[in-house]
Amino acid sequence: MNTVNYLGLLRLLAPETVLTITGLIVLFFDAGVMRRQSIPRRQQVAAFLLSAGAMLAIGWSRHYSLADPNSTSMLVIDPLTQLMKQVILFLTIFTALVSLESKFTPHVGEYFALLALATLGMMFLVSSVDLLMLFVSLELTSLSLYILTAFQKDKLESSEAALKYFLLGGVSAAFLLFGMSWVYGLTGETNLIRIAGQLRDRATDPVLLAAMVMMLIGLGFKIAAAPFHLWAPDVYQGAPTPSAALIASGSKVAGFFVLARMTLAGLAGAEGSGVWNGFAPGWVPVLAVLAVLSMTLGNLAAIAQTRVKRLLAYSAIAHAGYMLPALMAHNTMGTIALLYYVTTYALTMVGAFGVVAVVEQQTGSDAYDAFTGLSRRSPALAVCLLVFLLSLAGLPPFAGFFAKFYVFTAAASASTRSLGLLWLVILALAMSVVSLYYYLQLLKQAFAVDPPAGAKIIRPLPATLFTLVFLALLVLLLGALPHLLVNKLQAALVVSGL
Amino acid sequence: MPALNHYLVLAAILFSLGLTAALTRRNAIMVLIGIELMLNAANLNFIAFWRFRPNPDEMVGIMFVLFSIAIAAAEAAIGLALIISLYRHYRTTDLDQVDALKG
Repeated sequence: MNTVNYLGLLRLLAPETVLTITGLIVLFFDAGVMRRQSIPRRQQVAAFLLSAGAMLAIGWSRHYSLADPNSTSMLVIDPLTQLMKQVILFLTIFTALVSLESKFTPHVGEYFALLALATLGMMFLVSSVDLLMLFVSLELTSLSLYILTAFQKDKLESSEAALKYFLLGGVSAAFLLFGMSWVYGLTGETNLIRIAGQLRDRATDPVLLAAMVMMLIGLGFKIAAAPFHLWAPDVYQGAPTPSAALIASGSKVAGFFVLARMTLAGLAGAEGSGVWNGFAPGWVPVLAVLAVLSMTLGNLAAIAQTRVKRLLAYSAIAHAGYMLPALMAHNTMGTIALLYYVTTYALTMVGAFGVVAVVEQQTGSDAYDAFTGLSRRSPALAVCLLVFLLSLAGLPPFAGFFAKFYVFTAAASASTRSLGLLWLVILALAMSVVSLYYYLQLLKQAFAVDPPAGAKIIRPLPATLFTLVFLALLVLLLGALPHLLVNKLQAALVVSGL
Repeated sequence: MPALNHYLVLAAILFSLGLTAALTRRNAIMVLIGIELMLNAANLNFIAFWRFRPNPDEMVGIMFVLFSIAIAAAEAAIGLALIISLYRHYRTTDLDQVDALKG
């Protein structure tokens, strides 16, 4: 008889359990005790409960057990997954605090409970090493995010964005499932490690390559890489700003981590090659196509934008393109670079969306004009925006600079054969210069142009302002002392592998 | 008795039909039906592969299908809810007329 140590399992899954219970508490507390209170008060209480639950989950996420490499387990819980879960939980807390500013729904309890559920999906996504678990948690995340996008029911754009997100997401989920079914058929396994073991000797099977491309379509949608990016601009613009912040940050972290797990662990042995003049079929050339398209299209389309949330969406597509070369390097350095990039990028994105949320709530618009003279109307907010945008552009001393630096060096030094991935790095550098133009365009509007006559002073809530300043300091700190995070990632990666 | 190949071809045809519907239909509900068809094609693949495995005692394939049917149901529910919320604004489910967001 196989006895399972349920207490031990519960201890390993404590963060997820705590978060589930938190979601239910938020829901029932809001529907019961807080029902007659004003909406801002309910938001404060719900955000406090969610943050407290997430902090508790972070505190209990230190237990782990190193997986036996031959096991058929569905979840791995090792130092690396726990670290990424902590990152995701912090992002959720920041999102909850930024949500305080926006007044877009009377259904406060449902909103914060869905934030908890989406986070839960992301946490399971980070842990899953089995196709079934991966699919289930991906759908939990996606379905929660569709609803969060549609949350502003009185606004037409919100419903429209949610439906577009849903329809494209549904098609990509179907592609993912169909690809998974073929991988299962070819290997007879659903565990990623075992799949890799089976694939080693038949990496160039054409059916396998087709299945692989289908799975990469499904995940490419999740990270908003071109040409599967069509939903991103509409969703970022139409969704309530705090929901967009979670889609741009936490979902991105989980998406990239699971893509890394899928390619580096599950499809190991089917890399192919993406070096110049030396293409060989596998997942690396597929990602190379995605990277080139995302960088080019994202950056060029961003130039033409006049609304800040759409600008952030196109820049998100471009950033997905910058991150993919780190994955294509498929070595330890590349993985560390990828995780550092996606973590700092997510922090920056929550901050940028936070600034937009405040401006949008108080001026009613996210067009460039709404940011005119922001430095006079709210100096603190303008400085935060400056930090976030310059970090996104990749200027030192902000975190974005080292993120790009690590990714590009990892990609450039990955292969010594002919030019290696250097051609991609050169393209990425050229495109970073383009990106500087549109970030500075927005900053010019905020700093150099005088505010229009009669423009109101913008006053964010103390809690929001505190969060934004904290995020800006974090971006500065991780830029000045990048080894704080890199050492942590490296230690976790050495112990756990991927 | 039909062989594995027959099921796989049928599943591939279903998937292509679903994809065609999802890409060409203008009515949001028809697109949703197309997506469901694609998901079910994948389910059919899983069942066929499971049935023709050397050791059918392993329940992995059938378990996958059970989960994905449940997920498809949840997805359909959310999809219809989103279509209703869109219909309240536009008074139509024709996707060609839903064009407030572009650029």
